[in-house]
Amino acid sequence: MKDGVSIELQDVWIRFGDFVAVREANVHIDGGSFFSFLGPSGCGKTTILRSVSGFLDPSEGKILIGGKDMAGIGPNKRPTALIFQNLALFPLMKVWENITFSLEVQGVGKAARRKRADELLDMIALTGQGDKLPSELSGGQKQRVAIARALCAEPDVLLLDEPLSALDLKLRQHMRTELRQIQKRVGITFIYITHDQGEALTMSDSIAVMRHGIIDQISDGEAIYDDPATPFVASFVGENNVFRGKVKSIDNGMAVVATNRTGDLRCRIGTAALGNLQTGDDAMVFIRPEALSIAADATDAGNHIKALVINEEFEGLAYHVFLEGDAGKEIKMSITNQGKARETSMNKELVLEFNPEQAIVLPFGELASE
Amino acid sequence: MKSNSPLIKIFLGLYLVIFFGYLLGPLVIMSITGFNSNGFPRVAPWECLTFEWFEVLSNDKRIINGITNSFIVGIGTVILSVVMGLAGSLVLIQIWPKLRSTYYTIVIAPILIPGVVLGISTLVFWDRINVMLGFSSDSFLHNGIFQTILGQSTFIASYCMLVFVARLQRFDTGLTEAALDLGATNAQAFRKILLPFLRPAIASAAVLAFLASFENYNTTTFTFGKFPTLTIELAQKVRYGINPSISVLAFIIVALTIIGALSFEIYQRRKQLALANGAPVGSVSGNFQLPKFMRGNPASIVLLLVALGGFSSIWFANVYSPDACKVEVREQKRLIQQEQIEAIKQQQLLRQQEEAQQGPDIFSPDNSLVPKTDSEPATQGGGSFGNVFAPQNLDEAGPESDAKEDAGGSEASTTNSGNSTFGNVFDPSNLDQ
Amino acid sequence: MKSKGFMTDFFERNGLALGLYLVLAVGFWLVILIILPQLSMLDFSFRHHLPPPEMGGPKDVYTLEHYKFLVLGAQGSDASYNVVDLGVFARTLFAALFVTLLDLALCYPLAYYLGQSNGGGFVRVLVLLLIIPYWVNEILRAFAFRIIFGDSGVINEMLMSMGVIDAPLDFIRENIALYSGLGYAYILLMIFPIYNVIESLDRNQIEAARDMGSPWWRIHWRIVIPYAKPGISSGCTMVFMLSAGALAAPQILGGPSSLWFTQIIYQWFNQGGNWPRGAAYAIVLLSVCIIIVLSMMRLFKVKMGDLGK
Repeated sequence: MKDGVSIELQDVWIRFGDFVAVREANVHIDGGSFFSFLGPSGCGKTTILRSVSGFLDPSEGKILIGGKDMAGIGPNKRPTALIFQNLALFPLMKVWENITFSLEVQGVGKAARRKRADELLDMIALTGQGDKLPSELSGGQKQRVAIARALCAEPDVLLLDEPLSALDLKLRQHMRTELRQIQKRVGITFIYITHDQGEALTMSDSIAVMRHGIIDQISDGEAIYDDPATPFVASFVGENNVFRGKVKSIDNGMAVVATNRTGDLRCRIGTAALGNLQTGDDAMVFIRPEALSIAADATDAGNHIKALVINEEFEGLAYHVFLEGDAGKEIKMSITNQGKARETSMNKELVLEFNPEQAIVLPFGELASE
Repeated sequence: MKSNSPLIKIFLGLYLVIFFGYLLGPLVIMSITGFNSNGFPRVAPWECLTFEWFEVLSNDKRIINGITNSFIVGIGTVILSVVMGLAGSLVLIQIWPKLRSTYYTIVIAPILIPGVVLGISTLVFWDRINVMLGFSSDSFLHNGIFQTILGQSTFIASYCMLVFVARLQRFDTGLTEAALDLGATNAQAFRKILLPFLRPAIASAAVLAFLASFENYNTTTFTFGKFPTLTIELAQKVRYGINPSISVLAFIIVALTIIGALSFEIYQRRKQLALANGAPVGSVSGNFQLPKFMRGNPASIVLLLVALGGFSSIWFANVYSPDACKVEVREQKRLIQQEQIEAIKQQQLLRQQEEAQQGPDIFSPDNSLVPKTDSEPATQGGGSFGNVFAPQNLDEAGPESDAKEDAGGSEASTTNSGNSTFGNVFDPSNLDQ
Repeated sequence: MKSKGFMTDFFERNGLALGLYLVLAVGFWLVILIILPQLSMLDFSFRHHLPPPEMGGPKDVYTLEHYKFLVLGAQGSDASYNVVDLGVFARTLFAALFVTLLDLALCYPLAYYLGQSNGGGFVRVLVLLLIIPYWVNEILRAFAFRIIFGDSGVINEMLMSMGVIDAPLDFIRENIALYSGLGYAYILLMIFPIYNVIESLDRNQIEAARDMGSPWWRIHWRIVIPYAKPGISSGCTMVFMLSAGALAAPQILGGPSSLWFTQIIYQWFNQGGNWPRGAAYAIVLLSVCIIIVLSMMRLFKVKMGDLGK
């Protein structure tokens, strides 16, 4: 068990010619934490990872690992180990040789390497499989070998570049748990790159959400989900019904937004927008499908949305109801399956309501494209 | 795509037969001539099955010397070409994109430049370097081996590079990065990751380079100096006088090629089989079971047949003696052509006189290039019958001369082809004068 | 990424030892083996033919003499052009073109058949058979054709014994032996590029075209040939260049009256001893071949990178 080492990105810019891959990134990663970079493909998260591991130098700014500036230090001299997206297991080497490659290049003798390999194989539950070739292992086994190989180098920081993306759903969910357990056991800092919000939310202590090289928000999972800082985060993480409109009035952290098609909605101003949002600004209201429900009393003073049921999906855990609001506005509502009879049915006119605390208003901005 | 029309099938079959007839027929015919006792390589008229040309070949010092030189040049070329081709391919994958196409054009150009041009430029360039450095005309720069290796490597390295590029395209650069990330130095990553990955390509590039070097003529013919390779020797022989020992050499090369190709095919098959079974190659070869292994592998059956055929013919060669047959053929022909003998003898006399007059001409360099058939040295016939039995004469005189060849007796056919006093005429140094 | 010099970056990426190896090996190859000898030959072709003692002397100046000789012939000769050498040159190029087309016609069907079949054992054997002749020495391959086409060769013997002809046909003088031998020598270089490309052609495209009622020739004309164009041009380029630059086959199979241009070059070097003139002829051969290939590539819109696949 090692003490985790912190990582610091200070005003990091990374450019490729005219293209800016990372724009003014400032990140502090606590030692021993599980930190994720979450974003769609091409958002610059892999670029950040490669600059931390030393495969490319930032155009501007500093990268500190354990307080030490990493400028000019090559990947083979940094206390980081990277798990590649395609794992990059050496196909011509046996599993145990793969795992102990970092010892081999240090000139450690074969017997000692073999011993260490067996320890690590025990740890990843592949005891006795050391003499196989990587091509003879299953996807999940390869995954674990890649982790063991990275850990064998005893890095202070483990960098993971979407390592689970090639696995099928069941295995992916299993490996999430396993990765988190390994991280807790070894206690070193993990930096995890993913475009899968489920992975980021389930494993991470903190998440940085990125788009177009910009870091939109760094928070823990709950804050990212419940209190997104930008329309992009709100629409990228989880699902949201988006209503565009203008701020009509503001009072005490709450705002009334006159939406284009659905009338006035009253909701909470996002933490990041508090103080920025003024009356008359263009704004967006985000309401999660699970925050919507069928109004018990369609006549009280709360938020009401009238809509027609046009489709229903049953997912086991929940029913997803697709509705059409005024002027064709598409709305999705999720109702937890409680084993009771549903009140919805096709082509039925409903009035929906939501708690103003569970809806968020943010200044107008870019949404994540599906 | 399969078409079921019988007409198309017939056409396809016919086409395949013609194509492979064209492809393999010449080799088969040439190989057969190596077993005909006739002094000139030919199939018809078939005289006697003989293995004497093997002996002639093995006693031919120039051929043996040529093979030695070819091996020296081949090994040098393999080393130089693989080293340069490997470097060339590694530079290609990391050179600036702007420079890449220019670079590619330059390194691929030697394949397209005529071999003659490469030979000449190598010769001219090193000759000038030699003069510039003030070396004597027999310095190592002028040494045929040195220039031949450089000249051949110029374009063979391009072939090697193509082999490496093809392999490198399938290389995951992530592997090198992973090695660096795990603490390997650049040299270690190269040695432990990239080099093992390239090993099959290095092997095939080396084989390719050796074969290309071994059979090269166009470049070597300008650069060989005092070290004629096998190809050069063969060219001299083919141009100035042939006996079936060359066919025998061709037969040996064809046989070796077939054995090599079949072995390779078997190895590939076995590897495929091993992959299909999910086991490494070694484990399959470990429990080598002949019948089972033969079943899925027609190539191995063919190889076995080839080997059997080879052994049986060696055995046959030791037991069989063509002498009886030769005598018989000779008798027959003698009977048939008895009436002609007088006339032939007169002709011989006439020719011998002519030959005596033209003798000195052989030494003039002009003659060495464009062979005058009637002044070709009688290395073959030898003895008192003089030039009549020279292969070119046979060629000219048509079928009737076969009789004369036989009249020459069996001792005629066993004389060395290249080592007679006339052989020197074809010494490459003469050509250079 | 900071904009570092290419070389710094290069050495950083490869390390010193590997970087040095790459630079030295490629440098040696490019400069010493490829570029300098060609330049040296170019330079040489512009010099007078002088005996060794006079080299570098006052008479060693640049001249167009050898190029003039190729075009105009010897000074004081009757003809206003060097009819012999130019004729040989033109015939060499045309013959090379003919051999190229011959090989293309011969190889395309087989390449298509091999490329579109399922790669069973039969096809593997065919591929193996294709490779075997290529491993046999170039000289021996030509020699085999001499055995076949000679006056007392297999064909003449056969025809005469069947009574079709009385006197042997002179295949060598008629250049039939030469064209067959040249075509034979480069079959493989035509087949494999085309085969490699056609192999990657999706069979469904052909099925689809057939499904739409396209006759077989239209399938080839509209689908297979356009797709196989890089392979075809790669094969044609190689066969053309190698045929035009061939020396062994013309020497062995060429008729006494039909020289190949490379043979003239060879004679200037080995018989005439006039190296500069030989170099000049070689330069002409090289540049004309390159021009022909480049213009063909432009005509058929093929890139250099497609070659050598």
